Amino acid sequence: MNFSIMFDKEKCRGCTNCMKKCPTQAIRIKNGKAIIDHKKCIHCGECIRACSYGAYSPECIEWKNETNAYKCKIAIPSTTIYGQFPRGTDICVVQNAILKLGFDYVYDESWAAELVAKAIKKKIDNNKDIRPFINTNCPATLRLINIRYPSLTENLIALKTPMEIAGILARNNARKKFNLEDKDIGVFYITPCPAKLLAVTDPIGNLGPSVDWVIPLNKIYGELYQKVVKEDNLICSYPSLSGLKWSVCGGQSKSAKLTNFIAVNGMENVIQILEEIENGKLSGVDYVEVLACVQGCVGGTFNVINPFIASSNNKYILNTLDGEPINSDLECFEKLYNKGFFEFEFPDTESVNKINIKEALKKNEEIKQILAILPGLDCGSCGSPTCLSHAEDIYNGQSTIFECVVLRANS
Amino acid sequence: MANDLLKRFSFEITSNDFITAGKSSSYIKSNLKSLGIDSKVIRKIAIVFYEAEINLVIHSLGGKIYCDLYEDKIIIISKDIGPGIDNVELAMTEGYSTATDKVRELGFGAGMGLPNMKKYSDIFKIISDKNGTLIELTIFI
Ligand code: SF4
Ligand code: SF4
Repeated sequence: MNFSIMFDKEKCRGCTNCMKKCPTQAIRIKNGKAIIDHKKCIHCGECIRACSYGAYSPECIEWKNETNAYKCKIAIPSTTIYGQFPRGTDICVVQNAILKLGFDYVYDESWAAELVAKAIKKKIDNNKDIRPFINTNCPATLRLINIRYPSLTENLIALKTPMEIAGILARNNARKKFNLEDKDIGVFYITPCPAKLLAVTDPIGNLGPSVDWVIPLNKIYGELYQKVVKEDNLICSYPSLSGLKWSVCGGQSKSAKLTNFIAVNGMENVIQILEEIENGKLSGVDYVEVLACVQGCVGGTFNVINPFIASSNNKYILNTLDGEPINSDLECFEKLYNKGFFEFEFPDTESVNKINIKEALKKNEEIKQILAILPGLDCGSCGSPTCLSHAEDIYNGQSTIFECVVLRANS
Repeated sequence: MANDLLKRFSFEITSNDFITAGKSSSYIKSNLKSLGIDSKVIRKIAIVFYEAEINLVIHSLGGKIYCDLYEDKIIIISKDIGPGIDNVELAMTEGYSTATDKVRELGFGAGMGLPNMKKYSDIFKIISDKNGTLIELTIFI
């Protein structure tokens, strides 16, 4: 398993919607069916959203078959989960519904998020020479930076994600509490995010494998919804209010108590702001929070509720939640930080071979000549997202000029 | 030969034109990216080119920017038709700016232009008199 999005060829009608929405131009249509270039894919989920025929779906993991392998099964609900239920739904009820799916113990992601927020603040304060810092908790934007903006690598804050930290801490806690070995503990992360799914199955750098299984929220939502029933005397482990803010864009900066930050969500906006950073324009800003999904993780593709409603639900929860969070790991923050517990070691971006400018110019010239023949409508009917990418595909021998519908009609 | 000019991109920059400000930098950046030039080099070029472009828009009566590609280096030449910089040394000081309040409200002209250009280029040359300013920036690939 190394790809988070399954593609059903039968359902694909070759409509080009996904191809046009893909931010890295990783999709082509060949013989009426979409094909993904996995090397270019950043797992943002835009294609899932764009497809009207349900051809893309989250990788189906039969996690339920796996639960028997563990003596202790821990569920880590993402910070977005509580906003996915009707307004006023009790947090305790949701947590108990999760337990009823067959888990022994809930470790709330918000506890880890609060810790990571503290680490963000500390790292920003300690490193005044790097500005702006860019968040590393959204694997989709992280991969985008890797592929399209490698020069921004030095701006990355390079801290592990709350999911990662939650996985490690939950396992540690269970190991001590129940006196178990690591292999007896199963950690299941419930996520709104295809990119997080992949961050576990195919991690970058020193991330993973703190989480064993990732469950797309929409896969279990129906079952969960039925189990959300009010009962008396429910045991509850309250989420951290600070950590819960992470579910909406701008929340991690607020959770970290930053004042000089910019928060940007939605792929197109993210690309624009990364361009600006590349031009050296945001060096007066401490932190730039970039999240691929609209409104942030509440807009993740595996969510069920509209991102704007979910984000409002989340605000409502923050305003009304009463109950003390139990975040015993908070006491160890300084010790953990100094040990480098939060540090995310990045693989070196591969150094590009010294290019031969002369040859590169010649290649570009040839592509330009092909482009001049194409009609410039960017219609996508040829199976490439734009006329320029079609010209490049022709140059690379992956397509022919005859794929252009407009040229064919005119000749 | 390393000294042969392989390609020249030229841009006409109009004074006070904030509508298209930044367009030339985006254009040059995407072109250099498509050539496969190292991202660290592109970032330096993006920064100095953007500064040069905005400088012409804000402080000059208009001018031209050239981006010349050689085998081992990229040279950016910015040439305007005045009014020139009174005190080049002062303009090179970080934080110094002659930008008007209106321009500053737009978020430009924080006065980092020239020092930034110097910081991110390998060779920095500037000549200025009342007839205009000529800046030549070399970045090795
Ligand atoms: S997940 Fe994103 S990057 Fe990958 S193919 Fe789909 S739209 Fe493209
Ligand atoms: S914004 Fe959140 S849900 Fe969307 S891709 Fe990034 S981490 Fe995943």
